[in-house]
Amino acid sequence: MRRRRVDPAAGARAGALPEAIAALSRSLPSGPRPEIFRRAKFDRPEATSALWQLLFRVLSPLPAGNALASIALEVQARLVKSALCSQGYPRLALAQLPEDGSQGSRELLLALSWLLARGPVPEQMLAQTRVPLGDEMTVCQCEALASLVPPAPHMEAEGPVDVRHVQWLMGKLRFRWRQLVSSQQEQCALLSKLLRTLERESRRLEAVLAWRRAEPVFWQWMDTVLGTCAPEAPAAASQPTFLPWVPECGDGELELVVRELQTLEEELREAVERRRVAWEAKARGCGRGPEWSAARRASRETVEKELGALQRCWEQESGPAPAHGPHRLVRREDGAAGDRDLRAAELIRTLRSQEACLEAVLRQLQGQCRQELARLAGALPGLIWILPPGR
Amino acid sequence: MSIVTVQLGQCGNQIGFEVFDALLSDSHSSQGLCCKRENEAYQASCKERFFSEEENGVPIARAVLVDMEPKVINQTLSKAAQSGRWKYGQHACFCQKQGSGNNWAYGYSVHGPRHEESIMNLIRKEVEKCDSVSGFFIIMSMAGGTGSGIGAFVTQNLQDQYSNSLKMNQIIWPYGTGEVIVQNYNSILTLSHLYRSSDALLVHENDAVHKICAKLMNIKQISFSDINQVLAHQLGSVFQPTYSAESSFHYRRNPLGDLMEHLVPHPEFKMLSIRNVPHMSENSLAYSTFTWAGLLKHLRQMLISNAKMEEGIDWHVRPPLSGPPSLSKMSLNKDLHFNTSIANLVILRGKDVQSADVEGFKDPALYTSWLPVNAFNVWKTQRAFSKYEKSAVLVSNSQFLVKPLDMIVGKAWNMFASKAYIHQYTKFGIEEEDFLDSFTSLEQVVASYCNL
Repeated sequence: MRRRRVDPAAGARAGALPEAIAALSRSLPSGPRPEIFRRAKFDRPEATSALWQLLFRVLSPLPAGNALASIALEVQARLVKSALCSQGYPRLALAQLPEDGSQGSRELLLALSWLLARGPVPEQMLAQTRVPLGDEMTVCQCEALASLVPPAPHMEAEGPVDVRHVQWLMGKLRFRWRQLVSSQQEQCALLSKLLRTLERESRRLEAVLAWRRAEPVFWQWMDTVLGTCAPEAPAAASQPTFLPWVPECGDGELELVVRELQTLEEELREAVERRRVAWEAKARGCGRGPEWSAARRASRETVEKELGALQRCWEQESGPAPAHGPHRLVRREDGAAGDRDLRAAELIRTLRSQEACLEAVLRQLQGQCRQELARLAGALPGLIWILPPGR
Repeated sequence: MSIVTVQLGQCGNQIGFEVFDALLSDSHSSQGLCCKRENEAYQASCKERFFSEEENGVPIARAVLVDMEPKVINQTLSKAAQSGRWKYGQHACFCQKQGSGNNWAYGYSVHGPRHEESIMNLIRKEVEKCDSVSGFFIIMSMAGGTGSGIGAFVTQNLQDQYSNSLKMNQIIWPYGTGEVIVQNYNSILTLSHLYRSSDALLVHENDAVHKICAKLMNIKQISFSDINQVLAHQLGSVFQPTYSAESSFHYRRNPLGDLMEHLVPHPEFKMLSIRNVPHMSENSLAYSTFTWAGLLKHLRQMLISNAKMEEGIDWHVRPPLSGPPSLSKMSLNKDLHFNTSIANLVILRGKDVQSADVEGFKDPALYTSWLPVNAFNVWKTQRAFSKYEKSAVLVSNSQFLVKPLDMIVGKAWNMFASKAYIHQYTKFGIEEEDFLDSFTSLEQVVASYCNL
């Protein structure tokens, strides 16, 4: 294991080391207390299980969740060993550590620092647990679909107006109003949740920055840790590569498994064939009866409509296809943008024009409602109309 | 958006348990006839609405349990915990050591105010656990003392403190030959108070459910648990996730709000009933197949002929040819053969649901004249409910309950006329005027429904 070149002048002041280690532990998810690191230098057993868990968290391909917490320490240790080995970790001593967490904290500390030296581990961990809300939005620039105006409200034919109908409509309005208020309360609750999550993430970000500044001190210290280790046997090229632990099973069992898999594949293939034949027969048999033809007609009409809309869309813009789907806000220093990327300014312009369209539609609908109300008011002379406040 | 349930009295607590159990079992059922991703979305939607998550993953029902005796609450709590799949919150219940002796006035005027703070505190804690609350279910019986009196009191409080949240009272209509002598007094007092403070009264008639157990499920010794399971099945098929109309990719976020907007916006017409098809024992289910056409035809006739269940439907009742009967006002004495609807909501779940044809329900002859035909709505969801490959449920605001209501008002009036047992109520602050007010408002309700 090569020693990392360090600037000896860096971090010479006292107290720099605990700060560095504290920053490291804050920047890692479920990072152990700085005390654990110190104990690990002296190979104390009590630091072992925390370091196994930290290494597991760093190396595990799965996203964090409740499932991870319930995995036993032995399993975590085994996974860590095989992951490290597959990444080419050179020290044999780690592979030989017992998996019950009883010893080996110094080896684990060395493994952790090896990982830290190889790649930006805290940043990778941050990216894994990134809060996705707040910097993502869905974009739909499909003009054909966006230009669909909601159908005009159903205008009642002239005729006697029953006051019960008016009461019914008032009741509906009242329900909508209450639902609006509930939705706004929900929005507030969710926003405060989002704020708290973002705050947590900011704290992690700050920790990562602090760690990067204090890093040289850490490497100086790791040098001393490496120094306290017993020198390893010289690494020979013919050293056997350590394979992940596989349960003992004779060749015979493996053969059996292979054969079973092959029979299963055969069965599945036959089942698929049978199903396909049956479906084709059924599809050929269908196509009779008024229900089926009505459904087929309806679906054909919708498909034609959608196809028409898509074609119009393509014909209008010979340029790049309109963007669709979720996009993430990313700040870029240079002006370079990939071909799937959108500029914020463009997007804002499109959204503003859509907003203007929708506002126009809203005004039109409000006008229609006002006319309808005026007609109803005229039809029921005995009724007093009290408008809601603020209009 | 979440719904907070308040379970009141013996009835409310026993039913509440069955409802949560049915909801969770269905959401975990493997016979949903849909893909895994769909199933997960369904589960998540059901969970968000009715349960909160705890650290170790056992869902906790969003419910507050209230009773004046500890026995039923303890039974309910332990049954839920034993199931292992869900439970009630540890501190979600409120009970005392004394009953209310089936006295509505005691429940409303004594227990209610005395325990108002504790009960409303429990409800507030439950509300705070939710990201958003669309409304409350209040499950109670109409005829007993605890559930009915405290239920009316609590509903009033909810209206004051949570005026923007929706309130649906699930009311258990007592047996016609019930054991409580003053059940009719309790009933009219409950109904008149709830009409003022609640948004919707969803009524379950004990007699009807009892018949379903006897005739459709072939249960010999019908227990309360059987009845409650039928009720839970009906409620589950209404309130499990359904697709929203605008997008069939998301489950609707506020079924309670949508349902109320469709069915009960008018302040005089708040009484709802449920009819569902099919309903049978599990053994028979294994040997039955259904078509949507058949199911919907039966459901429509049940609506028109005021049938309570799928058996014994009167197929002779037809919608009037010359338009709805509001042109010739029907008096109370005439038998209401044809059930006029104000608004109906049909919820379909299961296989090939998109092909189900509900045109029969849109017939204007079924509805009252002053409402346009969009008084009918249908919600279709692919995912099957609770082992039924196809199931349909109708929530109806119609004349279903006119006759039962009229009967109860009549019986109560007869007792009142002879002043029987009134002293038990006046003793606790419910005066004769309050009774008269109740009679007046309920007779107004009956008249409004009759004049459709």
